[in-house]
Parts: sequence; C-alpha cells; structure tokens
Amino acid sequence: MPYAMSQADRRPAEVPLVSSRVAAGTEPRVSGGLVSSWELRRRYGEGEAAVDALDGITVTFPARRFAAIMGPSGSGKSTLMHILAGLDQPTSGTVTLDGVEITQLGDRELTELRRDHVGFIFQTFNLLPVLDAEENILLPLSIAGRRVDRDWFDTLVQTVGIADRLSHRPAELSGGQQQRVAVARALISRPSVVFADEPSGNLDSKSTDHVLGLLRQAVDEFEQTVVMVTHDAHAASFADRLLVLADGRIVHDGEAVSTEQTLDLMKALG
Amino acid sequence: MLRLVLRGFLQRKLRVGLTAVAVALGVALMAGTYILTDTINNSFGAIFQTASKGHDVVVTPKQTLGNEVLSQTSPIDEAMLAKVRATPGVAQASGSIFTPGTFLDTRGKRLTTGGAPAFIASTVPPRFESFKPVKGRFPRSSSELAIDEATAKRANLHLGQQMIVAGSAATGRYTIVGITKFGGGESFGGAGAALLVPAEAQRLLGEPGHFDQIDVAASPGITAQQLRARIRLELPSNVDVRTGAQQAKKNTSDLESNLSFLRTFLLVFAYVALVVGAFIIFNTFSITVAQRTREFGLLRTLGGSRVQLMRSVLYEGLMLGVLGAVLGLFAGIGVASALNQLFKSFGADLPNNGTVLQSRTIVVSLLVGIGVTVLAGLPPALRAMRVPPLAAMREGVQIPRRPLPTRKALIVRFVLGVLAVGILIAVGASGAGIALVIVLVLRAARLVVRLRRGEERPARRYRVVPALGHAIGSLVRWRGITGRLAEENSIREPGRTMVTAAALTVGLALVAFVAVLAAGTKATINQAVTRSFAGNLIIENSQSGNNEQGIPAAVAQRLRAVPGIASVTPIAFTVGRAKGSSNNSSITAIDPATFSSVYRIEWKQGSNATLGLLGDTGAVATKGYASSHHLRLGSTITLLTPTDRHTTVKIVGIASDNARLLGDLTISRSLAKSAFGQREDALDFVTYARGASNAQVQPAVDRLLAAAFPQARSRTATQFKADQAGQINTLLTLIYVLLALSVIVSLFGIVNTLILSIYERTRELGMMRAIGTSRRQIRQMIRYESVITALIGGVLGLVIGVVGAVLVTSLTLSDSGFVQAIPVGTLAVLLVVAALAGVIAAQLPARRAARLDMLRAISGE
Ligand SMILES: Nc1ncnc2c1ncn2[C@@H]1O[C@H](COP(=O)(O)OP(=O)(O)OP(=O)(O)O)[C@@H](O)[C@H]1O
Ligand SMILES: [Mg+2]
Repeated sequence: MPYAMSQADRRPAEVPLVSSRVAAGTEPRVSGGLVSSWELRRRYGEGEAAVDALDGITVTFPARRFAAIMGPSGSGKSTLMHILAGLDQPTSGTVTLDGVEITQLGDRELTELRRDHVGFIFQTFNLLPVLDAEENILLPLSIAGRRVDRDWFDTLVQTVGIADRLSHRPAELSGGQQQRVAVARALISRPSVVFADEPSGNLDSKSTDHVLGLLRQAVDEFEQTVVMVTHDAHAASFADRLLVLADGRIVHDGEAVSTEQTLDLMKALG
Repeated sequence: MLRLVLRGFLQRKLRVGLTAVAVALGVALMAGTYILTDTINNSFGAIFQTASKGHDVVVTPKQTLGNEVLSQTSPIDEAMLAKVRATPGVAQASGSIFTPGTFLDTRGKRLTTGGAPAFIASTVPPRFESFKPVKGRFPRSSSELAIDEATAKRANLHLGQQMIVAGSAATGRYTIVGITKFGGGESFGGAGAALLVPAEAQRLLGEPGHFDQIDVAASPGITAQQLRARIRLELPSNVDVRTGAQQAKKNTSDLESNLSFLRTFLLVFAYVALVVGAFIIFNTFSITVAQRTREFGLLRTLGGSRVQLMRSVLYEGLMLGVLGAVLGLFAGIGVASALNQLFKSFGADLPNNGTVLQSRTIVVSLLVGIGVTVLAGLPPALRAMRVPPLAAMREGVQIPRRPLPTRKALIVRFVLGVLAVGILIAVGASGAGIALVIVLVLRAARLVVRLRRGEERPARRYRVVPALGHAIGSLVRWRGITGRLAEENSIREPGRTMVTAAALTVGLALVAFVAVLAAGTKATINQAVTRSFAGNLIIENSQSGNNEQGIPAAVAQRLRAVPGIASVTPIAFTVGRAKGSSNNSSITAIDPATFSSVYRIEWKQGSNATLGLLGDTGAVATKGYASSHHLRLGSTITLLTPTDRHTTVKIVGIASDNARLLGDLTISRSLAKSAFGQREDALDFVTYARGASNAQVQPAVDRLLAAAFPQARSRTATQFKADQAGQINTLLTLIYVLLALSVIVSLFGIVNTLILSIYERTRELGMMRAIGTSRRQIRQMIRYESVITALIGGVLGLVIGVVGAVLVTSLTLSDSGFVQAIPVGTLAVLLVVAALAGVIAAQLPARRAARLDMLRAISGE
C-alpha cells in the first residue's frame, strides 16, 4: 500500500512549510493556486458501524478554475471539502495545497495555511454579529495582523456591491447581502483557493445569481480558484467543471453544463 | 420529570459543578462559623466544668459593670475569707487569684507572643486545684513557680530554669519547679498559666491580702445550694455568691455572649458570599433558560404545560441547592479549622477540643443553601413559563416580557411583601426587613407611575455596562482583533454581563469600603496624635492592642528619676455607669497637675486651669456625652463604679477630643483610685527636659523598663502611630481574607457565564478557527472578555465602595473630626486583582473554546 509509507518521506524536500513562507513575509500569489488529493479516505466510526465518507478520492483542482461538486446528501461532499481545506484530517491519503502537503501539517501550521491561503464561504452563520460589514470583510487580515490593501478592499466592496452598507452589522443586512460580505471576506486575503459549502443554500434565486456571479467574477477577473459544494444545479451551471460524488467516490467528472443538462445528469446517476 | 432533570444534570456536569460550588462556598463559611464557635464554646464549657470541680460555692467580686472591667481592687480580703470560714457547713475555704500577667525569660524577652493571654494563678488546696503537675510539683515558696505544659513547650522551658512573671504591680523571678496540665487535659488554646504561691501572686498584683475569688467546699450533709444561701447572708453586696455549677454556667454564658460577636462577624461574610452566589445562580439559570427557549417551545407544542416547564427549572434549582448545601456543609468542617488557623495566625489562639457539629448547624446550612438557590432560580423559572410554543418553530424567538400585573396580583404581592417583612423582623433580621421595605416601596412607586401613564413595559436599556465595556475595552483594543472582539462580546448581552460583574462588584465594593474606612481611621489617628500629643514618649504595655493589660502605677514614679525627663503624666482608663443608664460610660483618669502640659485639650467650656478643679469630685465631659446626657457646667452626675459604689461628680468643663484619649468623662487619678478601685495605669506620657535628645533618653527609659517593668515599653509618637496603623492593618487583612471568599465565588460566576456564552457562540468560534484564527488568539479573546467583565465589576465595586464609605463617614463621623483619606494605592491594587481574577476565571473557558471541535461547530452540531 503506497500510502502506508511514511508520508514525511514523500514530502518533496524543496517545498517550504507554510509557516516559513509567512515568516518571510512574501505575499502569496494567486497564480500558484492548485489543490490536489491522492487516494483520500475518511472513515467515521469503527468496526461494524464504520462509515467511509470518502472512499479513495484522487482529484486535482487547477488554478483559476471554478469547480462545482454535487452529489446526494451524505455522499461526502462536505467531508471532502473540509479535508481539502485543512479543516479535517483524512484517515489516509494526501492533500497538496499550493505546493504544500497539508496532510503533514500540525494544527498551528494548518491554522496559518487557512488564514493566508484559503478563503471560506459557508451556508449560514458566516459573519460575526458583533462586527460591522467592513470589519467582517477585513477579519482575515485582522487575525493575521496584516496591513489592508485599500485598493483591493475598495475593488472588492464595489464588486460585491455593499459599499453603502459597510457600517452595518449583519443583523441589519439581508441574507443575500450577508453572503456577499462573506464573499468579499473570502477574497480579501487573496487566497490560493476559495472553498464554498452550499453558498446559495439559504438564498432566493436573485441573490443566488448575484453571489454565484461574484464567484464567477472572482475566477475570471481576479484569477481566483474556487471549489464549491452545491445541491443546486443552477448554481453548478456557473462553474467550469462539475464533479459528482456518490458514496464517497467520484462518479462523474466533466465540463460544467447547463442547468437542465445537470439535472438530467444527476437523475441519470441516480 | 425528575428523571429528565437528573439526566440533564449529568450531561451538564461542569456547569452544575461550578454553580453548586458558588452556593457551597457561602454555605461552607456559614457552617464553618457555627462549627468553630460551637467548638470553642464547648471547649470553654469543658474548661469551666473542670475549673469548678470541687467547688461547692464560689465567691467573686460583683461585676456590676460587666466583665470587661479588669484592673480593679478586689473587695475580697482576708476578713471576708475568715467570715466564710466561720460560716457553719463550710468544710474548707480558700482565696485564689487568677489574673492576666506577662511571662518573660531571664533576658526580658516575652514568652507569650501575639494576642495569646497569659495568666497568673495562685495555688489552692488540692480539692480545688484544677491543674495537675505532669513533671515536678507545685510551688511551695515565693521563689518557685509551675508553668503550664503548652507554654513550656512553646518557650522550651525546663524544670530548674528561671523565668520572670510580671503582674500589674510588681515583677518576680522564679525557678520552675513544675510543669502542669489543666485537669481534663483540655487545650487552653494559646493561653498560658503560671502558678505561684498565693502571697506571691498577691504581691505581683499589688494587692496583699486580696483575692479574686473564694473557693468553698461544703461539709457532708449540706447541699451547695444551702451553703450558698448561708454564705450570701454573711457577705456584703459587692460580691456574688454562686454554687460551683452556677459559676461554670455563668462563665460559659459570659463567653457565649463574647463569642456571639465573633459568630455574627463571621456570618456577615458568609451572607455576603451567599448573596454573591445567588447572583451567579440567577445568572446561570437565566442564561440556560434563554438557551433552551427552543427546547421549551418544543415541549409546549408537544403539550407540556407552563407549570411543568417552571417546575422542571425549579427542580433543577432544588437539586442544585441540595448539592451545593451538602457540599458546603462538609466543606464547613474544613473551613472551621481553616478559620481557627486564620485566627491563630492573627494571634488569637482559641481552645479547640474536638469538632462540634450541632444539628442546628446542619439544619441552618441546608435550609439557607437550598433556600438561596431555589429563590435565585425562581425568576428564571417563571421566565421559562412564558416561553411560547412558537419558539420551537423559529430561530430567535424572544421570551415575551411580563405583562403589567393585574390588580389582584398586586394585592397578592402586597400581602406577600408585608408577610416577608414581618417574618424577617420576627426572626431578628430587621436590617434585611428594612432593606426589603425600601425595595418594595421603590418598586411600588415605579409601578404606580407606569400604571398611571398606562405604559407598556419598556425594553430594558443598559447604559452603564456598554459605556464601561467600551472604556475598558479600549485598554485591550490595541491588541487587535482579539481585543476588539472581546470588547464587543463582553457587552453583547449587557444584562448577563451586568449580573456576572455585579457578583464581583459586591465583594469589591465591600473591600473598597473597608479600605477607605481604614485609611480614614489611620489618617484620623495620625492627625489626632500629631495635634494633641505634645510629649516625647508614650509608655504602654508591650502587648500592644491588648487594652486589658496596663502598666504598674509605679512606672511613672520611677521614670521621673530618669535623667533628661522633665515630666511624666500617667493616664488610666476605667468605666462607670450613670444612674438610669444601661450602658457604661468610659472614663479617663489623669493627673491634673501635669496632663495639660503634654496633651492639648480642645476646650468647649473651660481651660487648662479647669483641670485644677477636678479634685475628688470634679469631671470634664466630652461634648457629645454632655449633650446626650444633658450635662452643663455645674451639673452633677452620679456614677456606679466597678467596685459597686456610687460616686457623684460635678461637671467642671466640657471638651472635645478627636484623639479619643479622653473618655466620656475625665476625672482625676486619685478619684479613680479611691472610688473606682483603679490600680493600674494604661499609659504614661513622658516629656523630655529642654535639650534632652531622644537618642539618649529613650534607651535609658528602655533600660529601666527592662529591668523593673518588663511588661512595659516606650513608644515615640511616630512609633505609636505606626502601632495603631499596624493594628488597623491586621484587622483589615482579616476582613480582606474573609471577603476574598466572596470574590472567589464571583470568579465561579465569570467562569460559568463564559462557558455558557462560548457554548452559544460555538458556530462563530468554529468559523473563526476555520478562517485561520489560532488557538492562542481564541484563548486571548476569551481572556480579554473575561478581564473586561471583571473590570466592569471591579470599577463599579470600587466606585460604590469609595462613594459609600465617603458618604457614610461624612454623614456620621464628620463631627468627631474624621479625616477622609482615599487609599489610592490599595484601590489600584484592587483593580489589578479584579483584572487578575478575570484572567484566572478565563483559564478553563478559554481552553475549552480553543479546543472546540471546529467541524462540529461549523456543521452546526
Ligand atoms: N462527525 C461524523 N461522525 C460520523 N459520521 C459522519 C460525521 N460527519 C459525516 N459523517 C458521515 O459521513 C458521510 C458524509 O457526510 P458529509 O457531511 O460529507 O455529506 P454531504 O455530502 O456533505 O451531505 P449533505 O449534502 O447532506 O451536506 C455521511 O454518511 C455522514 O453520516
Ligand atoms: Mg454537506
């Protein structure tokens, strides 16, 4: 079994640890964005009751591309995303993000990796209620103690269209506005990759279009890499590529297609 | 239902534990207080029992003015003893002495330290003797002595060694011929006893032929009661005649009344801790009820009744109360011995023969512990009742505010209020009753205003907490996002923060109050001594802080012969009781010829020349006393003296005295001696001759004192002030230690609130971790939040304490020349303590928050 080998042995010696790069103070470049996994397995529980949420996933997400992951409930979408983003550890297999094998990293290094190289958009509870929109957007930079690139901030705020709501707290924003703030927050640190878990799950169709349009724009104009989990075929149609998961395996991997074609595909896959 | 509550209990072990401890600490101090005082009481009871063994009848001086008066000439003399012996039915009678003294080694070093008392006892015939020699024998000659075992051990004394004993008049050097033990083997606490032959004991006391007590044994065939009656008829009214049993009982009950002061003193701190605990229980229950709104809503949709919901919360309170009270009761046993150690370290070593756990202690502790918990949990329980079924369906449904009460409800409340006040006053808690009346009146007034205007109940608005939160938050804001978030989170639920902080406020307000009071008292003493005392030295008993022991009257005489000393004026303290009054008046006895040259009297009426009029019939009254007793120049007042005599004095002057050296009345020393039986002095004021330097004179004085009056010492005004400050500081420290318990209880409150808040913010914390917040930053954020909460409590506490103390002292004490002083340093330290308390309280919650399972947090588990 290849992945039974000591994983430390397999890490390329020239790949620097994230932390050392952060220490050097070099701004991470968007262009390097690339995530790949190899034979990922994630098992929950033991013995009879064990569930393989991921059952050998090998996948690569090239830079500056927008990928959508679909699949029935319980198929392992969130689990995959969490492991790719360094939020969870696989039972076996490896993940490389931006040239770093993150399955090797400890908690501190993973934290710094997420802080500097990963952007997140969740379905709900995305913002801190005690901070206003501007502070929420700047949160990743505040956490890292980094200076704000005002031009970049202004560009983002203009793009997501909440310039006039910056001093509002989340409770004073609509769901769509909140999610747009979340998009801006995910992009503010120019991460290598943005992960979004059902970003439109709680939004009406108009807001969905707005938010998905923003993600599209992030890829096209800001050269971001986006990986999105969704149940919504319409949302998936904004992507470049469509992956379908079932029972912890990839059962489809191809170009993204129109909403109707996606629906048909899903039906065909059962 | 009960099973459901129990299960919930087990699931929330940590919170239940923390909340229970909040109750338990207060209960522990309460139980500990009862156990300690009962134990002391019991120990003394046993000691008195042993001491009265073999005594059928006991004759003692009548203590007309209470047992606080010592140092008076005893009316019991040889003639009286002869009369007793001559009474038919007396088998044996002997006089004895038991009086405070001072023990020193041959180099003049004190053998008893701190506040531990030492007694001079005379040997008595074997049937009356309650001491037993464990080594050697009882003294037989005037150069021999037997010392108690505890003192011998402590001071490393052995048979054949020599030691010095100083009485109120004289000093003697003795060879130790015996080591003794008290009859039943009871510990005497820290007290020591030196046994001397009677004549020698009398010599030290300066009372040849006088005794403190006559012990009488009855002949066979006559009961103690009968003999007592016979002796009573023979003796004058200035002595009391009791049976041995009566005497033991009286001693015990005298002690009981002294102890009850200690008990009340300690209980106050227990109640403070319980009030703080109640805050915490209230807060914890309020938060959990709010957090369980959905669950309650669900229960309601499933058909659960309002009352069932309320009951489930109340049951939880009840069980928590039981748990806390039982924990507290057991902890109380430990607290009792800790308190004993505490007092020991402050120099009060009390006898402790076996822990006494009375059923009263158990009942009161359980009742109070459970009662406080259930009462504090009642408002949240009532709130739970108002959860609408709708809450199950929707996120963030608020529990509706209570509607304005109906007329019927108002009447019921009024009746309940009156009942509560009645009960409180009936059980003697009139202070609490009055407080309740004030609260009720205020609430009623607010209600009336609102009913008039027909207003809806407005949403509660918090101003203080957010303002303080932001102000204090600015201290941590520079730390970046963690500080900023801590600031915002701390005022997110202002009501919750308020109650959490209030728990700390209570403790710190009291600490600040006491600190300001103490600083003012010290400043007042300093100022008074500086202004009033014009002499160079003060001679006092070296057992400072012990007002019971004075210095021999002969000291003044001998000092006058020391080169460089111009004058010595002795001062003595005694008491008298004005006719028709039930309180003692304090009396200062002075030497009219020399006093005014050393001490500046602020005359209201009269002048220094007035002192010349004192003679044996004159008195100077202090202003307050004169006005309360309607005394004017020339009026007379008749006083009952400690020797059970009446003496009438005429007011010759009226003075005010901020230094409080002058008692209610000031008389001449010769009158004190003749009418009040005063045999000792309290102080000598020494003035140097022109040109004499302290560097020369004080050592000479000290040499004389060491050689002839080892129990006395000299203090300069500066040293004297420092001594006084030291005594205040000792008391202050004791109070701080006791109040610390309340502060600790409030710490648990902060911990609890933080844990519950973190639980609420699980998803937020998960999100923050997901986007790259480090564990350290999370911990830091929680710690800052805790510090801000603690400082809100601390600042409020200090402000309330300082303002309260300044108000109280300026309202009640300004007439008597109280000097206000704000101990800025102490207050600053208190703020630091509050901040530290916050840091400590944050430890556990911060760790929990940092360890939080990120995935479960963001996937909304
Ligand atoms: N903490 C856990 N413990 C045990 N099993 C888990 C845990 N988390 C996920 N699983 C299981 O792993 C499988 C995949 O879960 P995952 O959350 O990745 O599904 P998903 O595709 O995101 O589903 P959905 O569309 O409902 O969000 C499921 O069978 C789930 O029950
Ligand atoms: Mg999912």
